[in-house]
Amino acid sequence: MTVVQGAPAAEYEVKLGRLSTLTGRPTHYCAGCEHGILTRLVANAIEELGLRERTVLVDSVGCSVFAHDYINTDAVQAPHGRAPAVMSGIKRVRPDLMVFAVQGDGDAVSIGLLELLYAANRAEPITIFLVNNAIYGMTGGQMAPTTPEGMVTTTTPQGRDVAETGRPLDATKLLAGLDGPSYVKRVVLPIAPMGSTDLYSARGPLEGAKSVLNAFKVQMRGGFSFVEFVSTCSINWKMSVLESKRFATETLAKLFPPGLYKDKLGVEKG
Amino acid sequence: MMDGRDFMKGNEALAIGALKAGLNAYFAYPITPSSEVPETLAREFKSPEYPEFRMFLQAASELEAISMVIGAASTGAKVMTATSGPGFSLKQEGMSYAAAMELPFLVADVNRAGPGLGNLGPEQSDYLQATRGGGHGGYRNIVLAPNSVQEMAAFPGLGFSLAFKYRNPVVILADAFLGQLKEDIVFPKIAPERFPTPWAASGARGAERHVLASLHLDFEDQSRHAEHLARKYEEVESAEQRSDSYMASDADVVLVAYGVVARLCRRAVKELRERRVRAGLFRPVTLSPFPSNDLKALVDKGVKKFVVVELNAGQMILDVRLALEGRGQIESVHKMGGLLPAASDVVRRVEALSK
Amino acid sequence: MKVEVITAGQGGQGVLELANYIAYFEIMKGRHAAYTPSYGPESRGGKVKCYVVASDEQIDSPIVEEPDVLIVMNALSMDFVPMLKAGGTLIFNSSLVEQGPRRTDIKVRRVPATALAASLKELGPPGGGDTSIAANSVMFGAFLAVAGEPLAGQTEAVREVLAHFFTERKAAYIMLNSRAVETGYAFVTDHPEETSAPRELLA
Repeated sequence: MTVVQGAPAAEYEVKLGRLSTLTGRPTHYCAGCEHGILTRLVANAIEELGLRERTVLVDSVGCSVFAHDYINTDAVQAPHGRAPAVMSGIKRVRPDLMVFAVQGDGDAVSIGLLELLYAANRAEPITIFLVNNAIYGMTGGQMAPTTPEGMVTTTTPQGRDVAETGRPLDATKLLAGLDGPSYVKRVVLPIAPMGSTDLYSARGPLEGAKSVLNAFKVQMRGGFSFVEFVSTCSINWKMSVLESKRFATETLAKLFPPGLYKDKLGVEKG
Repeated sequence: MMDGRDFMKGNEALAIGALKAGLNAYFAYPITPSSEVPETLAREFKSPEYPEFRMFLQAASELEAISMVIGAASTGAKVMTATSGPGFSLKQEGMSYAAAMELPFLVADVNRAGPGLGNLGPEQSDYLQATRGGGHGGYRNIVLAPNSVQEMAAFPGLGFSLAFKYRNPVVILADAFLGQLKEDIVFPKIAPERFPTPWAASGARGAERHVLASLHLDFEDQSRHAEHLARKYEEVESAEQRSDSYMASDADVVLVAYGVVARLCRRAVKELRERRVRAGLFRPVTLSPFPSNDLKALVDKGVKKFVVVELNAGQMILDVRLALEGRGQIESVHKMGGLLPAASDVVRRVEALSK
Repeated sequence: MKVEVITAGQGGQGVLELANYIAYFEIMKGRHAAYTPSYGPESRGGKVKCYVVASDEQIDSPIVEEPDVLIVMNALSMDFVPMLKAGGTLIFNSSLVEQGPRRTDIKVRRVPATALAASLKELGPPGGGDTSIAANSVMFGAFLAVAGEPLAGQTEAVREVLAHFFTERKAAYIMLNSRAVETGYAFVTDHPEETSAPRELLA
């Protein structure tokens, strides 16, 4: 596989080798899953900002429930959907701590939508990374709030009928419509196949790296930051890894367009 | 008041009592008849008198409130929330997680009539939900039952002691009557207790970090954790049973009641004694652990009849039966729907029984 | 010494406050007191009922089943008269209650509380507002007289009770209410107690 750099190298320095913010444990994530990439990006940013000893990770329920097995900081596990509320509780009594979570789309946009919306609306200085793979991954491929119309899941065997279940919910747009958040961004994270060639673009991970770093900087400046990562779940989508990358970067990216939706503090300008 | 006494509602006393015990944070969701608790704390928030009270926040739901409690308690802070029946049901999610992660905090349930919305009158119908661990999975809460405004003021302090000693949620189970009742009370002048929290998730120190998690996918691992919790509950059971007795040691018949019902039963005992019925009162102060040892001791002393008076169709009576192990005659007097039995009714029932 | 009181009336008549004044006064005298506000279905349909128990000893039950004193502010609340202890005292607002009690085993004090309060116009808000709202304070005075509290020397205590409840903007009403207390006290002292069936039954 040939990876083509998607952004100038000077913009972001990838730390190589072992990071003290990673436990070094091999992850349980499936081959090709973006959770692995995100774990590295998060660890990298925490290291870069020197935050490891004052960071608390809040595990959400879903594939990220074991995030503390890989990210070597203090951690608290939240009930399903409640991570933003647990984070608010921590931050409200310990504003000196950096608090972040990696949530899935089922956790954040379905069972935990209230907690997400209210934490955002209160402008809690916390950071949420949403891995949107349009399906309930850990429970075995059920319809998620973000599942696109027509997609076959174990609870929509004929494909999602939006006349029955409503249209996919766009959390990024919802949050961007609130006054509370300081930083709302959507990144299409997968390494993308380029046409029919053997070339791949790493634009997603590089953009992701920058966004994770900026999201933490926003929290350090007292703002609520949210980055949605359009991702894949090849296992539950019943696709090959390559097909899933294509589906995410071509089809899902249209439904959930990447972009900087809100940047009150102007962190992207540097 | 000139003599150092205050005159306030049970709910207000609970709030001020928590502040005097060094409350750091309160996460609120309003529900009648407990709303004076958050209202009082909202008034006192940022008062120079309580510098340790760093956070008061009204949440968007009971679920959000209890999850905030989990977050704040994870850092080792002294945290409390209060609710009533329907809200207490919603709190059960968080309380199950907190039991698993061994988080210390206080939840007050100002019991109203139920099930469902019920009404705003007093009941003791959340007894089983509170004492058994009302959420999923096997766990126990420590449950304290105040019976006066004075105890509403004092139990947050006791509650924090027990919560931090055992790293376990503590429930203060009051009722709508106690919440609204006003009495003269004295706040003890004691400095808030400080508790070491080496387990708290408040930043890693070098290689040492703190993970508070409830998921143990490995069966052996979950089994070890469940056994650890079971041993802790046994330890609580043997060390923390608390009860009060009144004229019980020479009694032929003993009333068993907690909360406001114990107050009217105390009056009934006096009236019964005037009528030459040797009656006494046994009041559980901890409902979980249930004070079985003290109750059993009464049978050993020769008490043969027990009348359990409660505001539900018979919940605590199950614990009384378990404690007495088939010894003694056990009768039930109950009232529901927000009504209280009259002391005179209790007197009549006991007189009939003792003939 | 123990006294059990029920205050009853309709919402807006200051029934809860009246019970609070009594409880607080008793505490100021060094006693214990318990106050229970109206709760449950009784608080609908124009009836509010409060309990006050005051005692030199720790109070057992805060629930009043047989009051020593029943204070009734409106006609509907005369329904509570059967609860009154035999030999107990009924104080009722004769401005709003036409029909006296049928019981003959109780002491009766008829006090035109609303009219007495309304007569204190000069202490009302500037421009001459309605002062009948202070009827509950008139009843507080009536209670003190019935309880045998010597008012002389208690004026400060009464004022302190009122100051506890009338705070901030409401402090302007302390003068009106303390005069209302004196008026109620004087009325009871000046009018003999009825111990037999009231006049209308004898007529």
